[in-house]
Amino acid sequence: MDALQRLGAHLETRLGSLEEAKRQGRKVIGYTAGGYLPEELVLACDAIPIGYVRAGDNNILRDAGSYICRWIDPFWRSQIGYLTSKKDPYYNIADLIVVPITDNHARAFSNTIVFYTPEVESFVFGVPHVKDELALGYYLDGLKRLKNKLERFTGIRIGKQGLKKAIELCNRERELFSQISMLRKANGNVVPSRDFIALHHGSFLADKEVMVDVLESYLKEAKKREPSADNVPRVLLTGSTLGDGDTKVLDLIEDCGGMVVMEEFAEGLRPYWTSVGLEDDPMAALAKAYLMERVCPGWFRPGTERLDFLVELVGDYRASGLIWYQLMYRESYKVESYFFPQILKQKTGLNMLVLESEYDTAAELGTMRTRIETYIETIRT
Amino acid sequence: MAYYDELFKLCGFEEKEIEEERPRIEKTLARLGIVPDDMPSAQSWVKQNHDLSLVGVRKLLGAWLKELIDLVLAKDEGKKVVYFGFPAILGPGLMLSASSDDVLVSAPDMVLDHTMGQIFNKLTPILEAGEANGLPPGHALCSLWQAKIGGIIKGMVPMPDLALASSYFCDMGSKADDLVTALYGVPVAYIDGVMDSRWGEYPRYLPQRVSYLGAQINQALKKSEEVLGIEVAPDAWEKSQIDSRGYINNLLKLLDLMRADPVPISVVELELLEALSGSSTGRGIREGIKAMNILISELEERVKAGKGVTEKGAPRVMMASGHTSDPRVTSLVEDAGLAVPLTMVLAQVGGPKHPPKKTYSTPGETIADHELASGPVHGTDAMIKMFQSGAKVMKLDGFIANYLFNCRPASLTSHTQKEYLERTTGLPVLALETDNFDSRTYSAESLRTKVETFAYMLKKRKEASRN
Repeated sequence: MDALQRLGAHLETRLGSLEEAKRQGRKVIGYTAGGYLPEELVLACDAIPIGYVRAGDNNILRDAGSYICRWIDPFWRSQIGYLTSKKDPYYNIADLIVVPITDNHARAFSNTIVFYTPEVESFVFGVPHVKDELALGYYLDGLKRLKNKLERFTGIRIGKQGLKKAIELCNRERELFSQISMLRKANGNVVPSRDFIALHHGSFLADKEVMVDVLESYLKEAKKREPSADNVPRVLLTGSTLGDGDTKVLDLIEDCGGMVVMEEFAEGLRPYWTSVGLEDDPMAALAKAYLMERVCPGWFRPGTERLDFLVELVGDYRASGLIWYQLMYRESYKVESYFFPQILKQKTGLNMLVLESEYDTAAELGTMRTRIETYIETIRT
Repeated sequence: MAYYDELFKLCGFEEKEIEEERPRIEKTLARLGIVPDDMPSAQSWVKQNHDLSLVGVRKLLGAWLKELIDLVLAKDEGKKVVYFGFPAILGPGLMLSASSDDVLVSAPDMVLDHTMGQIFNKLTPILEAGEANGLPPGHALCSLWQAKIGGIIKGMVPMPDLALASSYFCDMGSKADDLVTALYGVPVAYIDGVMDSRWGEYPRYLPQRVSYLGAQINQALKKSEEVLGIEVAPDAWEKSQIDSRGYINNLLKLLDLMRADPVPISVVELELLEALSGSSTGRGIREGIKAMNILISELEERVKAGKGVTEKGAPRVMMASGHTSDPRVTSLVEDAGLAVPLTMVLAQVGGPKHPPKKTYSTPGETIADHELASGPVHGTDAMIKMFQSGAKVMKLDGFIANYLFNCRPASLTSHTQKEYLERTTGLPVLALETDNFDSRTYSAESLRTKVETFAYMLKKRKEASRN
């Protein structure tokens, strides 16, 4: 059984093992996408973190329509839909849902939990939108409140040693993601984007030890793969969110003869480029790594760091095209998509294709295919 | 007499004022592309939509025009220009304004809406220019920002020297400031805050929120000093408070007058004065205070005489806010026979007072504490509770809970406010999807059926309760 098959088998029985863990007194802590919840804190109090990234199905948006207006982005409306409709058991198995508040879309979800599903316990803390010492202090304070909450909730004190051990485990996961990703710099074929995304999505639900083991196996397998001729258009795919189930754009790029060699998304993929330091104060180290050292999402102000990073990735991954995949009503990305093409062109010579989705496959598939086909064709020539 | 004199007189300008300002008026109108042919329709538009029998209303329109003139000519007159996003924590802007006569701090989108929209009825080309330059239609992007970018692109309002970014309420505003920076190199001072209150938490809030938002305000003021080359006066906060106190006092008096039945003034005119208090830090607000002084005397007379804008006994509803550029949308409610004694601003001014948690050593923290206590910057439930508390005070019969297409923070209440207000007050609530800044899609006609049906139901309810 290869690594991905093992991950699949693990996830097939995951719900049952979570229920069993709960019976044995362990707590399941659900958290929302964005990469601002350090799973280390959850693991250090022997609880089980599960991340919510399921999206891509337009039907669930109809469920969400009973609770929120339509101009919240479809990913966050999906989260509202899954939580309230109980159509995905992972959204209802959590003993506590933690929502790091990143922008107003995340706030929509946190309001919904308390107002419409008061039986679900939740905890919010804020993510500042700038990177400076004041912001770091605020974020660290939020993490400390979360730590206290988790300690009270689980009855387990989070000690320095326990936290460091959890950091080491999560660092290993991040390092493995990073090593796997970097294999694509030389040749994209050895790590298909589809695999890489599946590993990320799986990692939000899988047991952490199992996940690290899967990633180690996958890395070994990928290193053994024979690189094939690298003559297809290499695409950098970026945007706010790549939900678990939102495969349309990836499918189309592959169908049209392109190959995604790098994905940059704030929600749906976990940040994996930086490790958490193992210095004396692990809480401070977590805050530093999760807020200051990671590349910020588009809703930061200013968003230039991320745009510079994209330019860097184009060079590092030898991308011959950049596809900007944004979700309807996610205003930060929409605004950036107006001025970034000029910057990209100037710094890399590449043109950029902007796609937008409301997860409405029937309405979007045809036009997206035409646009992607044309774009890939222009890269090829 | 020039082609615009009649319109300016309708808008409360004295002849002497017109003479004194004539060169500035002409330069302004030329830059805005307002020509003699525009006057008949502008005059008719103003007469159609505003209660010009009230001198105070005319003066309010005049205050907006004066703010417009100062804004359009600011660079020509050697001023440094600072823009802030609406709705704003106004404190830092007021402080900058109070610190230097050479700095103009304003919300150009609101000024354009109220003048090019409410007076000249020529806002659409400005919105279209914004749409063509980074903020396309159909994506629920802010119409205020479309007006701001459009106004800049069309050369109507000057390129700012600094943007004070409202990074504590909306995500769109700060990102659009990034757009202006990317395209034109305008420096930005971000005032960041995080709306991480938990539903139900209001009026409590974490002291850390005060510290963070306060420190961000202080930091933005420092950056403003560097960029603008000015020094924020040590007493700027106190001075700005004294300067704007007249406005708050007048709003309190107004709140009291609005208890009358019939209500003495239309919500269209309330919108004019409420918006001015959140958009101007200079002549607009000073003139606005004078206009309100006159208006309040006039309204006192009306109340004494038992006169009002709707029939006595008309159902009374709260409406969060009026339309900034097209008064027809606002007056729709009164046309349907409903009285509007309460708005969000009046509810905020007259609502329960939450005193500062402590005395702070910096203006930033003082401002932050005040803002968190007063509601909208706190979180969604704080906004809704503000409406709830107004119900008894103003003897309401219902609420028109409009929530704004293209404004995420103001639309998070879309479903919850109806449920919450109906549950806690027992009053009917019309949840109404609107765009308060652009009426091309959300016109009065598109909303009429809903509002009229709601009004009919309220009238029947009221009749039934009387019987």
